Amino acid sequence: MKKKIGVYICHCGGNISDYVDVEKVKQAIENEGGVFLAKTTMFACSDSNQKDMVEDIKNNELDGVIVASCSPKLHLTTFRNVSERGDLNKYSYVHANIREQASWAHSDDKAGATEKAIHIVKAAIAKARLSESLEPNKIVAKKAVAIIGGGVAGMKAAIALSNMDCPVYIIERKYFVGGRVAQWNELFTTNETGKDLVTRLYNDLVKRSNVTIFTGAEVVKNTGSIGDFKLTIKITPRYIKENCNQGRLQEAIDACPVELPDDFNFSITNRKAIYHNFPSEYPQLPVIDIKNCTRCGKCEQICESIDFSQKEENIEIQIGSVLMATGFDPYTPIEGEFGYKEIENVVTLPQFKRMIDMSDKTLTFKGKEIKNIAYIYCVGSRQEERENKYCSRYCCTSAIHEAIIAKKKFTNINNFHFNRGIRAYGKQEILYNESSKMGDIYLQLTEDSPAVVSKNGTKTIVKTNDILTNGREIEVEADLVVLATGMVPRADNSVGSLFKLPKGRDKFFNEIHMKLRPVETFIDGVTISGSCQGPKNIMESINSALSAATKSFSYISKGELETEPIVAVVDSGLCTWCNLCSEACPFDAISMKEEGGKSIAFINNSVCKGCGMCLPVCPTDAIDLIAYSNKEIESMIDALAND
Amino acid sequence: MANIDPKFGKALKEYGAIDFNACYNCGTCTAVCSLSTPEDSFPREMVRLSVLGLESDLTSSLKPWMCYYCGECTTHCPQTANPGELMMSLRRWLTSKYDWTGFSGLLYKSLPLSIIVFIVTAIGVILFAAEESFNLETIIHFGHYFEMIAIGAVFSFILLPNLIRMWYFVILKPKIKVSFSTYLKSFKELIIHMFTQKRSLGCDDNEVRWIEHLILVIGYLSLLFTTVFLDWFSSQNLFIILLGYVESAIIFVITVIFVQSRMNKSKEVSKFSQPSDWFFIIWLLLMGLSAFMVRAFIDLDILESNIWMYLVHLIVLVQWALIIVPFGKWTHFLYRSFAMYFDSLKRNQG
Repeated sequence: MKKKIGVYICHCGGNISDYVDVEKVKQAIENEGGVFLAKTTMFACSDSNQKDMVEDIKNNELDGVIVASCSPKLHLTTFRNVSERGDLNKYSYVHANIREQASWAHSDDKAGATEKAIHIVKAAIAKARLSESLEPNKIVAKKAVAIIGGGVAGMKAAIALSNMDCPVYIIERKYFVGGRVAQWNELFTTNETGKDLVTRLYNDLVKRSNVTIFTGAEVVKNTGSIGDFKLTIKITPRYIKENCNQGRLQEAIDACPVELPDDFNFSITNRKAIYHNFPSEYPQLPVIDIKNCTRCGKCEQICESIDFSQKEENIEIQIGSVLMATGFDPYTPIEGEFGYKEIENVVTLPQFKRMIDMSDKTLTFKGKEIKNIAYIYCVGSRQEERENKYCSRYCCTSAIHEAIIAKKKFTNINNFHFNRGIRAYGKQEILYNESSKMGDIYLQLTEDSPAVVSKNGTKTIVKTNDILTNGREIEVEADLVVLATGMVPRADNSVGSLFKLPKGRDKFFNEIHMKLRPVETFIDGVTISGSCQGPKNIMESINSALSAATKSFSYISKGELETEPIVAVVDSGLCTWCNLCSEACPFDAISMKEEGGKSIAFINNSVCKGCGMCLPVCPTDAIDLIAYSNKEIESMIDALAND
Repeated sequence: MANIDPKFGKALKEYGAIDFNACYNCGTCTAVCSLSTPEDSFPREMVRLSVLGLESDLTSSLKPWMCYYCGECTTHCPQTANPGELMMSLRRWLTSKYDWTGFSGLLYKSLPLSIIVFIVTAIGVILFAAEESFNLETIIHFGHYFEMIAIGAVFSFILLPNLIRMWYFVILKPKIKVSFSTYLKSFKELIIHMFTQKRSLGCDDNEVRWIEHLILVIGYLSLLFTTVFLDWFSSQNLFIILLGYVESAIIFVITVIFVQSRMNKSKEVSKFSQPSDWFFIIWLLLMGLSAFMVRAFIDLDILESNIWMYLVHLIVLVQWALIIVPFGKWTHFLYRSFAMYFDSLKRNQG
C-alpha cells in the first residue's frame, strides 16, 4: 500500500478550470489516505511543471504520482517519463482524465463537473495506492528473418536485411522467383522490363552467403512468437537434377504430351507438365508439375537429369521475425462482367500485357488482327454495389502505359479508354499526357452508366454515355476489349491465417496504423510489405519492403527484446483448464501446460497484449491482468461509487 | 448514338489544328471565354467533338463562328492544347464543308496546289493581255467588266449555293422549325453583324482590333463600290478620284498593321498563320496598293508607258476574285454574319 502519493490537478489553461473548480478538487482529495501532496497547476505538461514534479518526486521520495488532466492518449507517456526521471517506476504513475470526462463533457453543469472530477481523482488515488512497480518482459530474439514471398518486395527486403548482417530465408511458393513483376514487360518510368528487375535482384541475392532461397516452398506450421518463431516449411522438389543439360531438357519439354493452361500467361497460352515460364528464368532450372504429370516417362527417356525419385521434404527454421511479401492476385471478372468469358475478344489487362509481350510486328488475337482496342477501367475496383470498394492504384497507369506500348509497337492501333476518371498520379501523369497527345481517346463515365460490351453479328461493340460529351451515347467497334482489372488479395492466403494476421475490410493484410505504423501488424514480430497489404505499384512495394525490413530487423537486432509487462497472469490454484480463455484470446497467447499434476492455462508473455478478453470468461476467476487486477478495479469502483 | 472517328483529328490537323488531343477536359477554356454562355458554351465542347471526330455534330454547329479568337482560351490552357487555333481550324474546315465544289478544302490542305493555282491565274492574265497586244484601253475595259461579272458569277454559282448548304447543315438537317416571319424578323441581325462585327466587341480589350477591322471592311467595300460602280480608273470627278485614293490608302495601312502583327506573333490571334491567312491579308494589301498605284500612274500620265502596273493590279484582282473570294478566307465575311442570322433563327424557332 502506497503512502506517499503526489497529486497534480491541471487547469489546462482554462479548458478544465473554466468548468471544474480545481481548488475545490484539490481540497476534496488532499486528505485522502496515501496522499502526501496535492497541487494545482496551470499546465501540467509544461516544462516548468514537469521539472517541479521531478523535484517533488525526488525530494519527498514519492511512491505514486497522479496527474488529473487530459486524456491518457495525449499525455500518459509524458508523465510516465516524468516519473522515471524522478527515479520512480513508471507504472507507479496513474492518469486521471478530468478534461474529456468532466469539464468538456459537462460544461453546462459546473458543480456536477467538479463533483465528477473529484470522484475520478479519488478513483485514481485508489488505484495508485495498489499500483506496483513493473519491469518490461525480456525475450531472447533469434537474429534471422523469414520472408514469405519471393517477388520484388521480398527480394529487395532480403537484400536490405542481408546488408544489415541478418540471415534471411526467402520462402517462395512458386518454383521461380520474381512474382508478378516477372510477368510484366516494359515498365514505367524506365524502359527496363520486369524480367530485368527480377534478374538484377536475383543476381544480387545469390551472391550472398546469408540468404537462403527456397522455391516450391510453403510454410505449413508456425509455433512460437516474436523473437522465436519456429516455422515448418514444406518443399516440393522440381524432379530435375541440378546442373542438367539444358539442350536435352528442352527436347524433353517438347516431348511432354500434357498441355494445360499456362498461368504465367494468365491462361492465354498452354504449357507442358514439364516447363519453365521463359528461358533463363530464375532459378534456371525447369520443373515438373507433378500434379498434372501423367508419368508417361517420355521425358525421362530423353533427358537423364529428370529424377522422379526426389521427395517432398519438411524442414524447420528458427527465426526472430517474419516479413510477409505474398503479393496480390489480379481480379478475375465474374462471367459476363463486361462480356468476360461470354464474348471471345474480351481479355483482362494482365492477359493483354502478356499478349503484347509475346507478339511481334502484328497484334493478333484468335487469328484476327487488332486495330481498335477498348479499355474498360476500374474492373473489380471502386465497386459501389459489390465488395471491392477501394481503388487499385496501378491499373489506370498500367492500362495507359500498355496502350502506348501497343501503339508504338504495332501499326494502326486506335485506343479508346472507357474510364471513371483517370488516376495517373504523380509522375505517371506524363504517361497520360503522352497517350492523349498520341491521339488516344478518353471516354469518361460513371458507375451509374457503365460501359456496355455487346455482340452485334461478328462485331464487338462497346457503348457508353460519355459525360465529357454531354452524356451522349457513344459507341466503339472494338477488335479487343481489355478489362483493366484491379488487385485483390491472394486467393490462397492460408499463410496469413497461419500467423493469425488481421485483415482489413478489403481483405488485404492490415497494418496497425495506416500512417504512423504502416508495416507493423498486431501480431508482434510479423511485418507486411508490398501488395499483400493493399494495391501498390512496384515503387511503392519496394518502399514498403525496405521499411518492413528495417522494422523486422529492429525487433531482433539486439538479440533481446522487451515487451510490455501488462499481461494476464494465471492463478494456478484456481485454474481448472476449461479452455474458455484460450478460445477467447485473439492472439493465441494461451496454451495448456501441466503443473503439479494438473492441467492449467499458460500465458505466453511475448504474445499476450494485455487486452483482457480472457478475464471475464474465466469461470473460476483464475486470471488477473497485471496493473488492472480485480483488486485495483474494485477499489476504483468503490471510490467512484462512494458519495 | 455516335461513332467515334479517330481519323478526324488527323484530318483537322491539315486545316491548322495543333495539339488539341492533349485536352483533358478541364474546361478552363470555356470558363475564361468572354463570349461563351451557359446555354451556348464553347470551346471545350468543340475540342471534345473534334477529338471524338463527331463530324455531323460539328457541321451542324454554329459555335466555331461564335468565336472571335481573342485567344484567352489558348493563353490559359494548362495542357497547351490550343483551343483558339482549333476553333480557327474548325472555321476553315467548315468553310470547306459548305463549299459544294470541294475546292476550298483542297486549297486549305495543299500549299503547292494554292501556289500553282495562283501562278496559272497570273499566266492566264498575261496570256490574255498578250492576246490583246497589251492594249491598255482594252485591258482596262476588260478589267472593269471582269470585276462586275466575277462578282455576279462567284456570288451566284459559288457563294449562294454554299450559303444554302450552310443553311441546310445548320437548320434543315437538324430539323429546326423556323417560321417565315422569323426569317424576316431576324434579318436585321444579318445586316448588323455583316457590317459591324459587333459580337467581336465581346472579347476583352478588343476595341482597337475591332475598329481596325471595321475600317478595313468599310474601306474594302467602298473601294469595291468606287471601282465597280463609280468607275474610279476612268472617272474625271475629283471627289471620286480622291475617295478612291483615301479608300485604297486605308486598306494598305490597315493590312500593313495586320501583316506586322502576324509577323510579330504578339497576340494569340496572330501567332499561328496558315497559308490561307497570309494569302488573304497580303492580297488585300496588294489590292489596295496596286489600285492606288494604278490611279496614281493615270494621274501622273505614265500608265501608258508602264502598262505592267495595270497588269500587276489585274493579276491581283483576278486571283482575289477567282481564288480568295470564293474559296479562301474572304468567305468568313459571309459565314460569320450568316451564322449570327442562323443562330437568331435557332433561338426563335418553333
